Amino acid sequence: MPIFPSRRSGEERGEQYGSPPPPPGPPPALFPPAAPGTGRPGGPDAGHGNSVHGDSVYDVDRDGGWPPGAPTSRAGLPGAGPQYAPAPPPAPAGDLDEPWQPILIDGAAPGFTYRPPAGGLSYRPDTVCDGWSTDALDLRLASVRGYAHRAEGRPREDDAAAAYDEISKAVVFAVADGVSDARQPHIGSQLACRSAVGELLDQVRASGGHVTDWGKLLGTVHWQLREQAARLLRRQDATVEETADLLATTLVAGAATPTPEGVQVALVSVGDSGVWAIKHGQLYGLSGGKELGSDGLVSSAVQPLPYVPADIRPRAVHLDPGMVLLVGTDGFGDPVGDGRGRVADLFTNELTTPIPPLAFAFTLDFYRETFDDDRTLLALWPRGGPR
Amino acid sequence: MVESNRGHLLPIYVLADESGSMIEHIDDLNDGLRSLHQALLGEPMAAAKVRFSVLGFSDDVVERVHLVDLRSAGEFPELRTRGMTSYLAAFEDLINRIPNDVADLKREGYQVHRPAVFFLSDGLPNRGEDWQDAHRRLTDRQVTHGAPNIIACGIVDADAQTINQVATEPQFGFVANKGVDVGGAIAKFCTALTKSVISSGRSLGSASPQLVVDKPEGFTVAIDVI
Repeated sequence: MPIFPSRRSGEERGEQYGSPPPPPGPPPALFPPAAPGTGRPGGPDAGHGNSVHGDSVYDVDRDGGWPPGAPTSRAGLPGAGPQYAPAPPPAPAGDLDEPWQPILIDGAAPGFTYRPPAGGLSYRPDTVCDGWSTDALDLRLASVRGYAHRAEGRPREDDAAAAYDEISKAVVFAVADGVSDARQPHIGSQLACRSAVGELLDQVRASGGHVTDWGKLLGTVHWQLREQAARLLRRQDATVEETADLLATTLVAGAATPTPEGVQVALVSVGDSGVWAIKHGQLYGLSGGKELGSDGLVSSAVQPLPYVPADIRPRAVHLDPGMVLLVGTDGFGDPVGDGRGRVADLFTNELTTPIPPLAFAFTLDFYRETFDDDRTLLALWPRGGPR
Repeated sequence: MVESNRGHLLPIYVLADESGSMIEHIDDLNDGLRSLHQALLGEPMAAAKVRFSVLGFSDDVVERVHLVDLRSAGEFPELRTRGMTSYLAAFEDLINRIPNDVADLKREGYQVHRPAVFFLSDGLPNRGEDWQDAHRRLTDRQVTHGAPNIIACGIVDADAQTINQVATEPQFGFVANKGVDVGGAIAKFCTALTKSVISSGRSLGSASPQLVVDKPEGFTVAIDVI
C-alpha cells in the first residue's frame, strides 16, 4: 500500500511521456556482431542537450586542468599503496579478515550473514566489478548488493555494463537501477544495461564514435523490456504497464568518444540515477539524483523505463584532464548528497587516480547508517595520451 | 559544518487515546508498544531509519516519547488514562509539533520522509469541537510543513465514519470488528504497527521507499463499514 508512489500515476504519465516508441523491428541481439563504422555525423547530441559548458554550476572549459602531482589518498583501502604499489607480502592467514571490513563512515557495521538471493533465481552475484583502460580513458565500474538486500536475501537490483569499440575508440556504458516494487527488477536492470550497450555499440560503429539516435536507444531498451515481460508472462505481448510492474528500471547510458579536443561524453538518463564529476577536489552533481519536494521532504517519485520520456534530453560533458566522471544509481547518489559530506569526501580522495577494480568495488561498499540500497558506480578518467 | 545527508529518516508518531474510557485497555497498549520496541531491537537496520514518538491525547497531548532512536531507547514511559477525547487538541498539537520535528532533523543533517501518524481511539471525539478544521490544516501539504500521512484505527465505540475522516487515505482507516476482544485488537494493532515500522524502515533506503501499512488482524477498512 504505497504512500510514496514509486511511479507516477497514469494521469501524470500522460503528461510526462509520449506514446510508446514504435518497434525498431526485430529486437536486436544483446551482443550483435561487430560492424565497422562508416561515416561520421555531427558531434554527440548536436543541437540539443544541456552541455556542461556554460553551466553555472561548474565551467569545465573555464577552469584549468588538474595541478600536476596532485596528492592521492589511499586511506581506508587495505593493502593498496599510492599509484598501484606492488602488493605487500602475504599476511598470515589470520590477519586477512580485518583489513577487508567495510569502510565505516559512521554507525556500527551490521553483524549479519549475507543471505543468498531467494526465489529460485539463476546466478546473480552479490558484487561485480570491472576495469580497463583504452588509449584515452581509464574505466572502473562496480555494482554491489545493498546491505538491506544482503540481510533479506534479495538479489542485487542494480546493474552496469560497458564496452569498447576498437574502430572508433569510443567507450559505451550503461548503469541501471531496477525499481524495487517491480516484480523482477534485477532482470529489468540487467536487460536495460545489456540492450543499451548493444545499441550504443551499433550506433558508434556506424557513425564513427557517436550516438546518433537517442530515441532509438531508449526505444530499443523499451522493446527489449516488453519482449522480456511477454516471455515472463508467457504471452505474445505485454503492455507498458505490465512491463513496468515486472521490470521497471532507471537507466543512464552513453558514450565517451576521444576527439582531437579531448574526450567528449554524451549520455541520457531516465529515472533518478545520476551523473557527477570530481574536479579540483570537489565532487558535484551534473544531472539526476533525487530531488526534494516543495516542502523539503524527500521525494521518491521515479520515472523509470519502460516509460520513455516524450522529450529526450541527452547531455554532453567534456572531460578535461584531471576530471573524473561518475555515473551511478541512487544507492551512490543518496549518500553523496550535495557533495559536501563524508561520503563525497571518501570518493573525492580515493578516486583522484584510477584505483584497482577490486579496490573500486570495496570503496563503493562503504557502510553508513540508513544507506543500505544497492550501489552501482562507473567512473571514467581521461588519460593525457597514449601510455 | 553539518552534513546535509547524514541519513534518511521516517518520523513515526503513535497518537493514542488516553481518555478515561481506555482504562481497561491502556495496559494492553503499553504492552504492545513494549513488544514493538523489542521487535525493533532485532531489526537494527530498519530501526536506524525511524524516529519514533509516542503521544497520549485526551483533553490535551502529553508527549511520552520524543523522536527516539529505538535501538538506543530505554523503557518507554507508559501511557496513562485521563480526561476526555479531544481530537482537536491532538491535531492542533501535531500542527505545531511536526514542522518543528522535521526542521530539527534536517538541522541535524538528515533527509526526512513524510511523517506517519498512527492514530488509535476507542471513542467518539468531544461534542462541539471543530476538529475537522484542525485536521484539514494538519494534512494540507500547502499549509503544514511535513503534513503527515495518518493511519487511523478505531476500537470499541469508535465510529467508522469518523475514523475514515481521520485517515488520510481510505485504505488507512481501520475499525475493529464487532465483538472482538479489545485487548486482542490492541495487540493486533501493535503487531501491524510493528510490521509497518520494520517494512517501511527497510524500504526507506531503496529506490522506491514506501510507507507499508498492513490491515491489523480483526479490523476492517473503515470505508467498508460505513
